[in-house]
Amino acid sequence: MTSTTFHLTPRTRDVLVAQIRAAGLPPRGPFLAATAVVVLAMLLITIQSLNTGEVIAFHPEHQMWSGIVGLLLPIWVWRGEERFGASFLWTLPVDRWRHALAKVFAGWVWLMGGVALFVLWSLALTLLSGGNILAEETLPLLWLAPFTSPTATYLLASAFGLATRHPLRWIVGSVIGFFIVSRVGEVVNAMWLRSVLALLESLVEGPYGLDALLTARTTSQALPDVGQWATATLLWTGTGLVTLWAAASRHRESRRA
Amino acid sequence: MSGGNAVTTHGISKRYGRETALDGVNLRVPEGAVYVLVGANGAGKSTTLKVLMNLERADAGTAEIHGLDTVRRGPEARAQVGYVPERPDHGYRWMMCRGLLKHVAAYYPTWDHPYADRLSLAFGLRLDRQVATLSKGESRRLQLVLALGHRPPVLLLDEPTDGLDPVVRSRTLSLLAEHLADTPTTILISTHHIHELESLADHVGVLRDGRLVAQMSRDELQRTVGRYRVEIPMGWQATRELQVAGVRANGVREAQWTLVGDQRELIDRLTLAGAHVREVQPLALADAALAFLEHEVTR
Repeated sequence: MTSTTFHLTPRTRDVLVAQIRAAGLPPRGPFLAATAVVVLAMLLITIQSLNTGEVIAFHPEHQMWSGIVGLLLPIWVWRGEERFGASFLWTLPVDRWRHALAKVFAGWVWLMGGVALFVLWSLALTLLSGGNILAEETLPLLWLAPFTSPTATYLLASAFGLATRHPLRWIVGSVIGFFIVSRVGEVVNAMWLRSVLALLESLVEGPYGLDALLTARTTSQALPDVGQWATATLLWTGTGLVTLWAAASRHRESRRA
Repeated sequence: MSGGNAVTTHGISKRYGRETALDGVNLRVPEGAVYVLVGANGAGKSTTLKVLMNLERADAGTAEIHGLDTVRRGPEARAQVGYVPERPDHGYRWMMCRGLLKHVAAYYPTWDHPYADRLSLAFGLRLDRQVATLSKGESRRLQLVLALGHRPPVLLLDEPTDGLDPVVRSRTLSLLAEHLADTPTTILISTHHIHELESLADHVGVLRDGRLVAQMSRDELQRTVGRYRVEIPMGWQATRELQVAGVRANGVREAQWTLVGDQRELIDRLTLAGAHVREVQPLALADAALAFLEHEVTR
């Protein structure tokens, strides 16, 4: 028998490509059905817009849907993976912390690709209907909003998924817990409850809340606020990156169980 | 990377709550060996392999694969390993078998595509099928291709023939033998079917309640464990020392006992106690290993 030789670990680029490919490989049937529905919907909207002669303005900051997609996408990216068990993913010869981040990155690449396609379609629809892609109240910087808002929500949702063994239980538990605490607080007329509610409200509609992140505050005021949008984007994306970093650390090679 | 041990553990212990899964296990798997790890269900076989893959973290002790610490140098250690887990679960159930092979190949720079194709063919795997639609046996075969495809220096196989029909089981063992012949490999294999590995195994480790109670080469095992045909006088009682070794008097003139220990020493002790050893028969690998699993070894 000849002497054995050391096998090398894969290059980072190869791991990223493999993960991007895996994240984008959907179950064939459901994917074809979903694609057909989306394409049909886009076609119908396009035909209807052209028939009615309605001029469509391009408001990238109004595309709140992309933030919601970013929030839900980690469910798709991590489908079939036991994040905390003896998962197939962890048997591969890649540092587990890096591997988790590579998988998150792969999902983000698809997210950005999907958003880019949708934005392009929106632009085309605006141009075809005779609309102006540079609407008066929309600054060109806000063209970034459909990309930045899902990035932040995707990072936060990925961090949540990587940090918790049972994300759904946490969500349901939190909602039920909040409901019970708020009801009890109302009954005893607790002052602290008002502070908690005010805090939650500011997280949603405050100057740097989710509204600022997702729509540049166009749902709470008439015109977008680029300054608040930029600050909110930095804050939420920064928080997402830090929490993702910490959550991925739960999966470090040398971490004791 | 030649000589020495391919797989080593230094006093690894693991507890799940109050249950002790591993208790100070010191595994030594020589390079190039086919080491069979035997033990009853729950003895700690799968946990040992999971610790080596860093899928379970030991509470105490360390493990090495070709000198690479499985925790501190986990990715490098795993790059040396082809692993077949106990459960036939690949994760990516929506992928086609071909897609999964391609995905895994990206992780191993040494992936041998023609060899993986040959193995798939030999195992009768249909690569255009979705992983989710595979039966347990087909999943097992796919796992074996995934484990062998990069010709790893170490194979960690957890019940690799579990779920396979007799024909495929036999083919699997033949392919393992062929793999050994043309690829320098160390195999650590956990199995209940030790008799299947009679022709392959050259080292045996026996786990009982999380403790490694025996670890030796096949030759040493067969020297250490034997079936003793003994003639005993009426009313003969085994000495306390022999009772500890597993000898029981049952009132018959002739008895057969499976005894563990140095053959000459055992014969001397039996003779001194008034018994007459008529014959000592060597045991098959499976029977010899079984002797360490049974608390009562009298036959």
